Amino acid sequence: MSTSSSSLTAYRQRLGINRLGLWLFFLSDAFVFGAFLFTRFYLLDGKRPHLEQSLGLVVTSVLLISSFFMNRAEAQMSKGDRKGFLTSTVITMLLGIAFLVGVVGFEWRLAPFGPADGPEGAVFYMMTGMHAFHVFSGVVFLFIILRNGIKGRYTPERHWAVEAAANYWHFVDVVWIFYYPALYLIGVV
Amino acid sequence: MQPKKSISELRRGVYVFAALAALTALEYWLGISQAEAIFLWVIAVLKAALVAVYFMHISRLFGAPGDHE
Repeated sequence: MSTSSSSLTAYRQRLGINRLGLWLFFLSDAFVFGAFLFTRFYLLDGKRPHLEQSLGLVVTSVLLISSFFMNRAEAQMSKGDRKGFLTSTVITMLLGIAFLVGVVGFEWRLAPFGPADGPEGAVFYMMTGMHAFHVFSGVVFLFIILRNGIKGRYTPERHWAVEAAANYWHFVDVVWIFYYPALYLIGVV
Repeated sequence: MQPKKSISELRRGVYVFAALAALTALEYWLGISQAEAIFLWVIAVLKAALVAVYFMHISRLFGAPGDHE
């Protein structure tokens, strides 16, 4: 067995452990997000915050489209299409920033209550704030893989960081899949 | 062999995205129609499952250590 093939075998074995570790992190993070979701229904019950419905739909769509491009970026890296990977990653980053602008820049300003205005404000700002922080860290993660991608550090056989960044991004999307109806659609204003 | 597989992965991404978009539109319509919350939860679970299975490739976790396929 040559050095490169034995190194690839070791890499593949490590890949399984890396994946397990990442999913355990997702599980632990899901408990945090799940606790906020529980808090929302415990404190507000059948009511929901008064929010801009159209803006909620727009930011949700933006995050959904970003997940599509993230999946595309990973598939393109697996194919060896470096240029396609870089383009899709940049688009994902821009959509992530657009989501942040929509939630933090617009929704927070348009909301008729502040973080200290009772349970409604506490629940809304805590949930969207924690989620926005994860989106921001996801954008940072994407910037790192973009930089390494430009330097040509990933190959179709070895790109664990790309897979991890993509899965992290999708995890953040899954969280919003539950937060969107909980904040915008379920209950009465 | 490898390029063929990736092309199908790209195409599958389009199908999954279309399904997610349709479910989101349905979810929005149900939400503004004041439908029962259970319908919105079912849609949310379906969307999350689609993302976990096709975008996050959760099955990789249970298979033998392999490559990025």
